[in-house]
Amino acid sequence: MVAKEQLIKDLEGMFGVQKVLKSELERYTYTYDSSFVSQQTEYFPDVVVCLESTEEVSKLMKYAWDNEVPVTPRGAGSGQTGGSVAIKGGIVLDISGWNEIVEIDDINMQAVVRPGIVHASLNQALSPFNLFFPPDPGSSAMATVGGMVANNASGLRAVKYGATFQYILGLEVVQPNGDIIKTGGMKSKALKSVSGLDLTRIYCGSEGTLGIITEIRLKVLPKPQARGIMLALFDKLEDSALTVLDVFKAGIIPSGIEILDDGGIRCANMYKPELNIPEVEAAIFFEINGTKAGVESEGEQVKAIAEKRARSVEWATDADRMAKLWQGRAVIGAASARTVPGKTRIFAGEDVCFPISKVPEALRTIKNISKKYDIPVVIYGHIGDGNMHTAPIMDPLIPDEVQRTHKVAEEIHRLALELGGSTTGEHGVGFARTSYMEEEHGKALDVMWAIKQAIDPKGIMNPGKIWKLGRE
Amino acid sequence: MQSTYKMDFTEELKKCVKCGTCRAHCPLFVELKGEPGSPRGRLALIKRLHDGKIKPSQELADIVYTCLLCKTCTVNCPSGVISDEIILAARDSLNQSMDQSVIKKALLKGFLTRPALLHSCMSMASLYQKTGMHNVLTKSKLFELLPDKLNAVTKIMPDVTKKPARSRIPVVTPAKGEKKFKVAYFLGCATNHIYPDVPVAGVEVLSQNGCEVITVEGVKCCGMPHMAYGEVDTAKEMAKQNMDILLKEDYDAVISDCASCSSTFKETYLHIFDEGSKEYEQAKQLADKTWDISDFLVTKTGIKPGTKEQKVKVTYHDPCHLKRAQNIFKEPREVLKNTPGVEFVEMKDADRCCGSAGSFAVMHHDLSMKVLDKKIENAQKVDPDYLATSCPTCTMQLSYGLKKAGSQAKVVHPVQILAETYK
Repeated sequence: MVAKEQLIKDLEGMFGVQKVLKSELERYTYTYDSSFVSQQTEYFPDVVVCLESTEEVSKLMKYAWDNEVPVTPRGAGSGQTGGSVAIKGGIVLDISGWNEIVEIDDINMQAVVRPGIVHASLNQALSPFNLFFPPDPGSSAMATVGGMVANNASGLRAVKYGATFQYILGLEVVQPNGDIIKTGGMKSKALKSVSGLDLTRIYCGSEGTLGIITEIRLKVLPKPQARGIMLALFDKLEDSALTVLDVFKAGIIPSGIEILDDGGIRCANMYKPELNIPEVEAAIFFEINGTKAGVESEGEQVKAIAEKRARSVEWATDADRMAKLWQGRAVIGAASARTVPGKTRIFAGEDVCFPISKVPEALRTIKNISKKYDIPVVIYGHIGDGNMHTAPIMDPLIPDEVQRTHKVAEEIHRLALELGGSTTGEHGVGFARTSYMEEEHGKALDVMWAIKQAIDPKGIMNPGKIWKLGRE
Repeated sequence: MQSTYKMDFTEELKKCVKCGTCRAHCPLFVELKGEPGSPRGRLALIKRLHDGKIKPSQELADIVYTCLLCKTCTVNCPSGVISDEIILAARDSLNQSMDQSVIKKALLKGFLTRPALLHSCMSMASLYQKTGMHNVLTKSKLFELLPDKLNAVTKIMPDVTKKPARSRIPVVTPAKGEKKFKVAYFLGCATNHIYPDVPVAGVEVLSQNGCEVITVEGVKCCGMPHMAYGEVDTAKEMAKQNMDILLKEDYDAVISDCASCSSTFKETYLHIFDEGSKEYEQAKQLADKTWDISDFLVTKTGIKPGTKEQKVKVTYHDPCHLKRAQNIFKEPREVLKNTPGVEFVEMKDADRCCGSAGSFAVMHHDLSMKVLDKKIENAQKVDPDYLATSCPTCTMQLSYGLKKAGSQAKVVHPVQILAETYK
C-alpha cells in the first residue's frame, strides 16, 4: 500500500484539495457511526474523499486497485454496525453530498437517483406526483438511499411493503478495479426482468464490500388514498404480540405494526409530551392505508380484534395526531437515550428478528436478560415482521456497565439464533456482528466469500465487514 | 475543559448517540456537506477536546465557530442534546486558551460595552453615509482591497442615518386611556441605533394598549454577541448592570422588541451565574419578568388597533431566538392578523434560519449568503409588500437579501405596521 503522505498528495492531485479531508480533526469525524463498537475503538481513515460523479469514483477505484488501498464508502453515517467506518484505514469515500434526483418518471412509476439522496427528501420530491418510495426507515430524515440499498434497509412499513431490494430495478456500480457496470434494469424502464443472474440482489445488502453504488433506478408506488393509525395499549407484553397474530389471521395486513414497551412509551412521552401515552407494558401502533372505505373497514376490524385484549384503543385519522404518533414512534431509537438521567442508549444487539410466532417468548426473554445483567433495555420495533429493536440504557463511562452491556447484546443475538431468527433484520452486519455469521449461515458463508473474492480479489472494498478481518 | 458558561460537558456530551438526525436539520450542513460541518461532527470534536485527546487549535475553533446557534439541531434532537449551548460553552472554553482576531476583540470588548462609544461610532457611520463616502468607496472598488471581513461588513451594513431611538422617546410615556401596566422597555443596541423606528413604534403600540412605558436608562448590551464569541466574563459584567437597573423598580414587565435580547434575559443569564448566588436569583427574577413585545400584546394587554387600514400583504420570518428559544411564533402572527387591512401570507420554511446569526454574516459571509438565498427565494414566492420579523440582525440580513434580489419588499417589525394604524 502507498504511504499515507503520497496517498493524500495523489488524491489532491486527482480531485483537488477541496474534496480531500486529511487533518486529524476532519478524519476523526469519520471514525464513528451510531454503533457502540465504533465508539469504543477509534478507527481513523488515512484520508477522506468527497466525490459526486461516476467518473471521479471510477478514477478513485482504479487508483485504489492499482495501489491496493482499502476503500470504505459512506453515506450519512447513520448506520448502527460500523459499516461505514474504515477499520483497516485507507480511504473513506463520502458520497452523502451526491444527492441528485436524476429522473422521476411518474407514468412508468420509477425514479433514478444518486446515492446521497436522503430518503425523506426523495419522498418529498415524489409527493407532487402522488408517488412514494415505500421502505420507511426510522432514520428517514437523514439516511441516504445509497446506504439503504447497501444495507437492504426496510423499516416501519416492511410488514406490507417489504425491504429496499424489492424496489431496486437496477444499479450503476463502480467495480473495485474502477470498471463501471449497470445491473438489471438500470438501462431499461421495464418493471420486470429475469434476464441473466440477478446481480442487483447481490449488490443490495452487500454493505460496500463489492463495489460503489453510484446510481439507482427505483420502482415507486402510487400513494394510498387514505391512512389511519390505531394505538392499542396492553397491560401484558404477550397480549400485544398475540393481538398482532390475530390481525394476520383475520386476513388483514396493516402497512405498519409497531411496538413500544414501557420504557419506549416513557421516552416517546419525554420526546413528545403531547403524546401522553399511559405507561402500560406495551403499546402497539397499527397503520392502515389504502382506499378510504378500505381503511375504515379494516380499521374497524383491527379495533375489534385489539379490544379483546387491550386496555384501551385509540383510532386516529386526524393528520396532526397521526403525524405525532408516527413520529413519536420513528425517533424512539435515539430518544431512548432520555429514559434514565445520567445514562444514554447504545446501539448493540439492537436489530434481532424473530419468527412472528416466537415474538411473545422473545419479548419476555429479553426483559429477563435485562434484569439478569441489571441493564435497562427499551424494546421497540417492527413487531409485524418480528424485527425487534432493543436499546440498552447505560453509562459508557463505567467499565463494568460496558461489560454487562456487551453480555446483554451477546445474549440477545444468541436468543435470535436459538429461536430460529436472525441477528439482524435490517441494519446489517458491519463489523459489529461478524462473529455470528458462521453460526447463522454455515457453508453459505463460504459461497458468499467466493462471490466476494470473484468481484474483489484484492480485498480492497470495505474490508472487515460481513466477514472478519483476516478471513483472506 | 473549563467554561464560565455553566455546562457539565461530560454529562451533556454523553447524551449524543451519534444518530445523525441533526444532519437533516442544520441549515449550514446542507451547504457544507462533509461530516466536520455537521452538528454531530462539531460535538464529537468538542468531546475529544474535553477528553483531552486534542488541544485547542485554530482549525478546531473554525469548526466550532461555524455554527449559527440557531437551535434547529437542539429542538430536533431525539436524545435531548443541547448542541447550541454546548457550542457556546466550548467557545468560551476556547476563548480562554486562544487569541482571537483583532476585529472580534475590537468589535465586542471596546464597542458594545460602552454605549457612548457605540453611539459615536454609529454617528460616524451615519456621517460616512450622509457624506456619500460609502458610495464613493464602493464605486471605486476600494473595498475590494480591504480584508474580506471588512468588505462583508460594508455589504450588509444598513442605512444608519436615523437618530437613535433613545433620543426620540421620552423616558416616561404615559398610557393612552386606562393604565393597565407599568412596563420597562429595554432598548437593545441594534434597534436603538440601527432600527430606531422599531422601539418608537413599540412604545407607541404599548402606550395605545394601556401601558405606561419607561425606556430605562443606563442599560448595556444584553451580552448575547459576547457570549456567541466566547466572551462570557464580559457578558456577565453587562448582565449584572442590566439586572441591577431593570429590577430596581417593580415593573410589571420588561419588554423587548429583539428576539435575541429577550431570549438572553429569559434563558442565557441563568447559565452564566452560579446557582444560589445573588446574581442567579436576579437572573431568575428577570427571566420571569421578560416578555417579547408581541407576546405581551397578545397575552397580556390584548390588541386594540387603530382605525387606519394598511392594505398590505405581509409574510413573517421566525427569528431562531424567538421560535426555538422561546416557543413564540403564533403571537407575532396574531399581531399582524389583528392589524386592520393586513393580508397575512405564510411563506415556506418561515422558521428556517436566515443565516444572519449576529456577526456570522460578516465572519462567514459566503456561507451566510447561501443560507440567506434560500430564505429570500421562499419570501419572494409569496410576493409580500412587507417581510416582517422580530429581530434586528434578521432584519439587516433579510433587507440585504431582498435588495440583492431586486425586491421592493421592506423588512419591518410587526409592531411597526400596527403602529401605523394609530396615525
